[in-house]
Formats: sequence, C-alpha cells, structure tokens
Amino acid sequence: MPTREEVLRRIDAGEGYEDAGRALGIPAGLAYLIATGLPADGSDSLAPEDYERPGLRLGGTQALLGVPHHNPSERRSISEFVHGRVRADAQMRAAATTQQ
Amino acid sequence: MTTWLGNWPALRQLTGPDPLGRGAAAASRKTRRLTARVAGADRVVKSVCPYCAVGCGQNVYVADDQVIQIEGDPDSPVSRGRLCPKGSASLQLTTGPNRGHQVLYRRPHGTDWEPLDLDTALDMVADRVIAARREGWQWEQDGKRVRRTMGLASLGGATLDNEENYLIKKLFSSLGVVQVENQARICHSSTVVGLGTSFGRGGSTTFPGDLQNSDCIVIQGSNMAESHPVAYQWVVEAKARGAAVIHIDPRFSRTSALADVYVPLRAGTDIAFLGGVINHVLTEGKWFEEYVKAYTNASTIVSEDFRDTEDLGGLFSGFHEGTRHYEPDSWQYEGMVVGAASGSRDQEYNELTHDGESRASSGHGESHGSGGPALHGNPERDETLQHPRCVFQILKRHYARYTPELVEEICGVPPETFRRVCDLITANSNRDRTTAFVYAVGWTQHTVGVQFIRAASILQLLLGNIGRPGGGIEAMRGHASIQGSSDIPTLFDLLPGYLPMPHAHQHETLADFVKADSAQRGYWANMDAYMVSLLKAWWGPKATPDNDFCFDYLPRITGSHSTYDTVVEQLEGRCKGYFLMGENPAVGSANSHLQRMAMAQLDWLVVRDFAQIESATWWKDGPEIETGELTTEDIATEVFFFPAAAHIEKAGSFTNTQRLLQWHHQAVEPRGDCRSDLWFTYHLGRRIREKLAGSTDEMDRPVLDLTWDYPTEGPNDEPVAEAVLAEINGWDADGKHLSSYTQLAADGSTVCGCWIYCGVYADGVNQATRRKPYLQQDWTGREWGWAWPANRRILYNRASADPSGKPWSERKAYIWWDAEEGKWVGHDVPDFVPDKRPDYEPPDGAIGPEGLSGSDPFIMQGDGRGWLFAPAGVVDGPLPTHYEPQDSPFTNPLYPDHDRNPARRLYPRPGNRLQPSGDEPGAEVFPFVLTTYRLTEHFTSGGMSRWAPYLSELQPALAVEVSPELAADRGLTNWGWATVVSARGAIEARVLVTDRMTPLTVQGRRMHQIGMPYHFGPNGLVTGDAVNELTSITLDPNAHIQEVKALAVDIVAGRRPRGPALPAFVEEYRERAGITAETGTAV
Repeated sequence: MPTREEVLRRIDAGEGYEDAGRALGIPAGLAYLIATGLPADGSDSLAPEDYERPGLRLGGTQALLGVPHHNPSERRSISEFVHGRVRADAQMRAAATTQQ
Repeated sequence: MTTWLGNWPALRQLTGPDPLGRGAAAASRKTRRLTARVAGADRVVKSVCPYCAVGCGQNVYVADDQVIQIEGDPDSPVSRGRLCPKGSASLQLTTGPNRGHQVLYRRPHGTDWEPLDLDTALDMVADRVIAARREGWQWEQDGKRVRRTMGLASLGGATLDNEENYLIKKLFSSLGVVQVENQARICHSSTVVGLGTSFGRGGSTTFPGDLQNSDCIVIQGSNMAESHPVAYQWVVEAKARGAAVIHIDPRFSRTSALADVYVPLRAGTDIAFLGGVINHVLTEGKWFEEYVKAYTNASTIVSEDFRDTEDLGGLFSGFHEGTRHYEPDSWQYEGMVVGAASGSRDQEYNELTHDGESRASSGHGESHGSGGPALHGNPERDETLQHPRCVFQILKRHYARYTPELVEEICGVPPETFRRVCDLITANSNRDRTTAFVYAVGWTQHTVGVQFIRAASILQLLLGNIGRPGGGIEAMRGHASIQGSSDIPTLFDLLPGYLPMPHAHQHETLADFVKADSAQRGYWANMDAYMVSLLKAWWGPKATPDNDFCFDYLPRITGSHSTYDTVVEQLEGRCKGYFLMGENPAVGSANSHLQRMAMAQLDWLVVRDFAQIESATWWKDGPEIETGELTTEDIATEVFFFPAAAHIEKAGSFTNTQRLLQWHHQAVEPRGDCRSDLWFTYHLGRRIREKLAGSTDEMDRPVLDLTWDYPTEGPNDEPVAEAVLAEINGWDADGKHLSSYTQLAADGSTVCGCWIYCGVYADGVNQATRRKPYLQQDWTGREWGWAWPANRRILYNRASADPSGKPWSERKAYIWWDAEEGKWVGHDVPDFVPDKRPDYEPPDGAIGPEGLSGSDPFIMQGDGRGWLFAPAGVVDGPLPTHYEPQDSPFTNPLYPDHDRNPARRLYPRPGNRLQPSGDEPGAEVFPFVLTTYRLTEHFTSGGMSRWAPYLSELQPALAVEVSPELAADRGLTNWGWATVVSARGAIEARVLVTDRMTPLTVQGRRMHQIGMPYHFGPNGLVTGDAVNELTSITLDPNAHIQEVKALAVDIVAGRRPRGPALPAFVEEYRERAGITAETGTAV
C-alpha cells in the first residue's frame, strides 16, 4: 500500500488523484484517503483545522470514487418543443414584431 | 499453524512493517473482504430528499437499474452531506416492501379492494371527472359569471414537484375546478399573508445557512432541532461563534436543550409575548431609528377614521358583526387608496358580496405572496414620528398595555425571564449585530396565525433586522415542495406567482383584474405582464388581445373554497368527486372524523399514494366502521387507489423552505402501476380532451384550447419534466428562454407559466440542477440550485446598506452601492434595480419600479416600505393583537368582551362543536391545553413514515406528554394509557410523564399543558389514534388555516371506550359542558 508521502509527492507535483491512483495501482478515492485522512465520499465532517490538511480538495471529491455522476442540465429536445409552440402562435410573433 | 499464527492481529502488527497498527496491520481477513455498499454502483444520480422542506441533497446510487443506496450529498450547501433519520430511511421509503404497485378499485358498497388495470382505471376516472364536472357546473352565481364546477375537488401537492403542481393547476382550472388545494393551506398559508403583507413577498426573508451569521437566534413556534434537524446545524454554527440562542415553546425539546435560554409559554399566546417585546423596544428606545425612519412605514399617516382595538374594546374599526368581517377602508393611509377595496365598488358589488364579506373570505391576502396590496396615491408622512396618527404613534399606543406583567398574566412567563429575552434580542440588534427569528407551524396553525407572523415582522422591522445577514425571519416549512406548491399553487385563491384567482364580483374582465390588484409603484405594477404571459402559457395561440387573452376561461371564486369549505361541500352532497394526491386528510387535516364522514358522501374518490393510507381505506376499517357511524355496505363511494412514483422514479424540482429550486433526476423507472403525478395529470388531461374532442359546448372550450402538447419519453410515456419547467420559466417570440421577469410583456409576446420562477431555465439551462460544491463558493451558495426571485438568497437586501448605500457596518456588510461602477454590489444578487442610485428620487407621476426611490428596499410594496402597520391585505386587523385560542381555559384580560379573534372563520355544525372557554359555564370540563407537534422520525400524517420499518421502530407509538404534577393529579402512570377528550372526539395514547412539560401559572392559576405528535393513524406498521380527532375546523380568516396548536381538552387515565360507546362517551362530555350549536361562536 502506498504511503501518504508517496501520494502527496505526486499531488504536489501536479498530478490529479486519478493519475496518482493509477500510477500507484490503487483507486483514486483510496489515494485521497491516504493523502488526507478524509474519505473521498465526503462522509466525514471537516473541523476548521482540517482545511489545512495537505492534499485537501474543496468539495467534489465524490467523483474520485469512480462512479459517474448523473446531473444533466440541458436537453436539446426542449428547444424543439418551445419553437413548436412559437411557430403555432401567430399572435405572439406579431406582437413581438409590433414591439420592434 | 504458521498461517493461523500469521493471521493473529497482534503478531502481524508486531512483526510486520506497521508496528503501531495504524495501517495495513489493522485490517483482518474479514475487513479486507468488506466492500462499500455503493461499490457496485454504476451511476450516482443527484437528487433531493423528499421529506421536509430543508431540501437536503441526496446521492442515489444505482446498479443494474436498481437503487442500491441513498446517501447525503456532501457538496450541498443546504445540508453538507447530512440527512436526518427520515432522509436516511428514504431508501426504505422508495424500495421497501410496503409500497403498493397495483391499481386497486373499491366498487360502490363493496367490502374489499379489487385489482384493476391502470388503463381501465384512468379511463374510468376521466369519465367520472367529465360527469361530475357537468353535474356541478355553474355558469353564474348571483348573476355574475363564474364559469366553474363545484362538482369535484383535489387536495395535495406539497410533496409533489413544481412541474406536477403546475399541470394540476393548469388542467383543473381549464376544467373549471376551483376547489384545488394542498397541504400549504394546512401548514403555512398564514406565512404567505403574514410575511407578504409585511414585506411584499410571502417566503422566508433569508435562508438557514445564513443563521450562522446571527448574533442572536429566537426560535419560537418551532422545534427546529427535531423537526428540521439538518437545518439546525446552522444554529449550532452560530452558537459556536458566540450567538445567543433562545427557544420559546410550550414544550422542552432538543431545541431547548441546546438553547441558552428556554422560555416555556402557554400555547397560543405568542402575540402577547411578542407584543411585550415590541412594547419594550418602543418604551426603552431600543428601536433602530435610522432604519425605521427610512425603510418602514412608521412615519406614514393613517386615516382619521381608524380606530384601534384599544379604543373599541377588542375590535378594530370597520367590523361588521353580522358577517363577522372587517371592512378595511378606515385602516388606509391618508392620501392613498387600495384599488381592490375602494373606488371600484358600487352598490351592486356591496349587495352581491355581502358588504365585501365574500372578498374578505376569498383568501385574497395570499396573493401578496409576491406583491403587496394595490396602493394608489401619495402617502402623507411625518418624518418626526410625532403625528398622533402616524404609524409609529399608533403602534406605541396599541402595545402600551403589553407590559411584562401582562405577558406573565397571559403567557405564564415570569417578568425576569421575559426581561432576559428582551435584553438579549435588543443587545444583538443594531448596526453591528443582527437577530434572526425562526418559526414553523407552532405559529401558523392558529385562528390568529397570520398575526403571529405579523408580530414578528413588526419586531424585526423595528430592530432593523430585515434584509441583513444574520437577521430576517426564517419560516421553516415542512414538505419537500410546500413552498413550491404555494408559488405554483394548487390553492383555490391563487394562480402561479401569487397572482390572485379572479373573483366573480370584481374581476369580470382582464382590465378590471389588473386595475383592482396591481400596484401603482414597484414591480407589482407590472402585474398585467405577468398575467398575460401566464394566459399565453396556458392557452397559447388561442389567447389574443381580442379575447382578453382567454381571461374569461378562468373559473371565478366567490368566497372561500378552501379544503375545509370543500369538506362542507362534500357533506352537503354538492362535491361528488375528490382527488387526493399525496395527502391524507383522514389523519392530517383538522377534525379527521368530519373528513371521513365527508368522503363517505362522495360518488368517487381517487387516492394517489405510496401505500394504503387511512384516506384510502376508511370505508372498510375507519374508526366510524367500529363505532357504527358508518357501515361498509352502505357506503356508495367508488374508491380508486393509484400507486404513486417516488422521487427517485421521476424527474422534477422541489422548492425548499428558502425558496430554492433543486432538481431531482429520475434514477430508475417506477415498478408496476406506479406513476408520477406528472404522468397521471398529463394522461388524465389527454384522455379528457380526447373524450371531449369535437364538443361545441362552450363549457369545454378552455380545456380543449389548452396547450397540452408536452413531449413524452420512456416506456411509460412520461411527460418530459424539463419541458414543463421551460414553460414555467417562459420564452419570447424567438423561442428564446427568458432570464428575468423584467422581460415579460403584456401584449402577448411572451409566455411565462410562473413569473417569479422566470430565470430558472435561462439560456436553456436547467438552473435548478446547478450543484457547485459548497466549499467552492461563499456561504450564500448562489451556484447551487436557483432561488426565486432572480436567484436572490436574502430578500430586501437593499436594507443591508444605509440610505446612502453604505453598509450599516463592516461586520454586517452584504450589499452596497459602488459609486465607481454605478451599481449595487456585494455577496448576493441585489434585490433592487441594479443601477438605481441610492439618492434617486422618482419624478412626479412615475409608476412601476421607477416610482420607488433609491432608498425604498421593499420593491414589491406599493410604497417601498416595510409595513409596521398593514393598511390592507390582512383581513383581521392592521396590527396583531392578542386573542385567545378558540377553545381555551382562559379569558382574554385585554378584551373581556372579545376573548377570541372576532373575524375567525367558524363552521358550526354537528361533528364540529366548539367548547365553552374562560369563565363560561362548562369550560372547567376541558381544563388543559393541548399542543401538537412533529417527531423527527415521522412525517406529517404518517404516509411516508409509518410504513417504513426503520422509522416505525424508532417511534413505535403515539404518546401523550404530561408533567409529573399533572400525572399525579390525574392518576396517570408512565407508559400507562390515557384518554384525551375534546368536544369532537376522544383518543387514547401511552403516557409519557416528563419534566419537558412545564406547568405554568396563568391568571393566578396553575396551568398544565399536554403534548401529542399528530402522525399516527390506524394503518401502517405502527398505529395509533389520530390526534386530529380532537381538533375542530376553526380557521384564521386570512389564510383559512386551522387552529391545531392550542386547544382545551380533558385527560383521564385508561383506554378510551370502544365501538358505539366511544361517540356516547364524547356526547356525555358535551352534555356535561353544556355545549350547544352556539357554544364558542360569540364574536
């Protein structure tokens, strides 16, 4: 098992936890746990002094678990739906033209 | 042997490279085989807890299209990864064995359920809607066009998504249904009126995360640590930073245990307490003079016709005794009129509305949820605050009698305790320090619920605590989207965005509507644009200027059509069909006996829920079957049970208690017949439209012309929730998604389903999905979700700076004027015109936002000010004053001739009898004060918790909390049985003898209070009597919320009678107390 120093050396050199874990043969989340002493899934509370821990990332460490997150924010089909409504509404388009 | 020794942990540790046992040596073969519960997950779906309104982030772990785990989202600025016991049990809620997955049908007079296929069931419901609608149709009432049906009603929405509420309101309104209601009526409707009339918007002025900046936090009418435990972390943060925490509540709880000061008081007397603090602030000169003069209506002169309760022995001027309502003309500002209440009225209006009673009862105050009353004219002011009719002087006179001695006499709080609270609040309210108030349903559910909140609003304005970090008033709401179900209202009196439902006698045309309700100044002056954009969203190309944008398609209200009025309609046989969508009135609504008796009069009932809640099964196993008041075979009601999809099985947005919209994604498809309410409403509407297609009946035009063309997806043809959200947000004639309500127009060129949500889909991006980790942004968390309005987190934040635009202090800097940039800057989105200079003075005749000055922070109010005195909008008085609860063991020492709120709404009828109070004969039969509350491990009426094994095990039984003194007095033993009795019913519970219930001395008498949680009912894994068997339908006149937080009862040792002996037992109590139809109904 790699030591804390081994992981931190790579992080300090600019590697991400994903690359460091790959190079050391361990999952990225485990690399984070070894480096910081904090679980990557966020299942621990941070005390004020924890913010000084070398290798700490401010949030978003769940991604290191390697399970893809599903949080889409855009859907192309919505635009088609909206434009269909606009096409069907002559009064709306005429009012906008009048405004201009 | 060697291998065995090698696995011995101590040897392995001492001989290996890890002699201190801090690394690999600590791992055994067993622990090495362990894997994380989520190790096999193939995706993490971002979600939001479906229980209370804190809105904790959830990570839903999915493997092979099965949800395998639900955990708190550590990136959420709302919850920081935490979940309470309910949120932690949501895997069991959603995937447990006790959910129903099959449509069930109970035929008329049937004795049991029968399975029914989903398609047939939906078709049958569509037929019944069409028939009931037609049977209950009204074109006119009292000669005025109403275009509505009273034949059916719906209840539910606070647990649903915004998109679902939107479709329900849209479809049902197009069908002419006005009786559309949800839990928001029952929990926080008084919040909307109380905060809305005070500040211009009916939502929390702040957010729980900002409580960490408070120097003092007053929690009153809330057990925050147990009811909203994850939000309570911010109170603990504040405490760690040195804040004082005060808990004022009838019952000692975990909130009290963590407070610096705990103040037990008599339930229902909070106005007396807060009035005492107001009096203290005014008489001791502790008010924030510069803030009060600049930002409140303290200097405004009130009409010379106004008379205070102190002048009229408990009545304000304008009271009509016959109709028990106020005519508010005399409360108005000198020089201003309220559009809705004055000029436009004529003799006919007065006759048809019974001198305005139907308007007063129409819940119009809720329409101030995002826009104050329609003020017109120029107010007269006395900036010295010396004019005897200025608000400040009226306020001083009104509260002069609220001395510490009076507080003690009414509330049972000793003067020294009261003084300590006053000192802490006032010492922490100034330029450098701020105090916050937190409340929940302990304030809202009273016959004076709105005025409880008004009292806190007055106090916070006097102390300069609104619009500032660490200040404000936080309304802790109790359902995942109960704020959303007010904003996009499944409520009878509102349209989306707190636009009022049109009233038959006042809103005959769109022009009348706008004239009556839009203000002259501020953003509410643009109400016509908000309304027309809504009509375009609903009726699209059919809505044109030539037909008033289909304004006539909206059904008209003619008074109160609240859920409690619907119960009466059902009992009278006029309302024949009923939808319950995630709501359980047989347990959760006041007077649950009457609720069930009303359902027994229905032709048909549709229940959509996770399990067979009491509202679904009362016809075969309800309490009335056992007592003989109902017989299953005699009940003609058809009942349909449709299993509902859970939050992980559908996509949509919740709006939490801080006005924050957060999106939850669909993780898996629902099983069996389970469907979302979006699916149910969309496909029900589709079928109704298909059945009515080709109809030439004018009645059917609104539903046939409705825009009902949402795209669908997946194996169940689920409507695409984002399409509904896009309609809610709005678009322009180029199809561009709008980013602000300031873009809306009144000419039909914009579509917007809810103007206050305009911006949530800006740029075609679902802003409610934003999830930037809280550690990567400041405490306001503005890049997490989207808060209405315009993503502002603290409302009225212009008031965080002084009139010149500088922060009141560096310590409390939040928003300030940057002269170089020529705009307002700071930690939040300014709740102000971004580039309006602080020294801006409106030119004569300026209207709309330009009509307010650069130092008017309350931009939704017609005068730009916070309202110490409400000249309009509150129907039971411009100032809060103490009245006793409906059923009370005590008299009102302030107004002996008017113990109770004279304008309260009464429903005197068999089954809803009221009790003698105070010194009336028979009051001694009900000597104790009952208050109800929520447990951490259960959820409202139990539908989402009593079927969950974890939660049921944690809280397995209904209990009644009594003090040791009361236990000794009544022979009650810990964990023995007790029966609690009111004029409505009798229930039994296990006794919990505890010092948490503090006996108080009130009016020189020893007074005992009783506490009971209200989650239990006869069904589920853990059962108990419903506490709402005891409560009456007696309502606040503004919001039509029921009084269930304070009522008088008796308690005796032992179990309640069974069978027919139970109603006889209650009848014997009524006879002993001399109760008649008139009891408790005096003005």
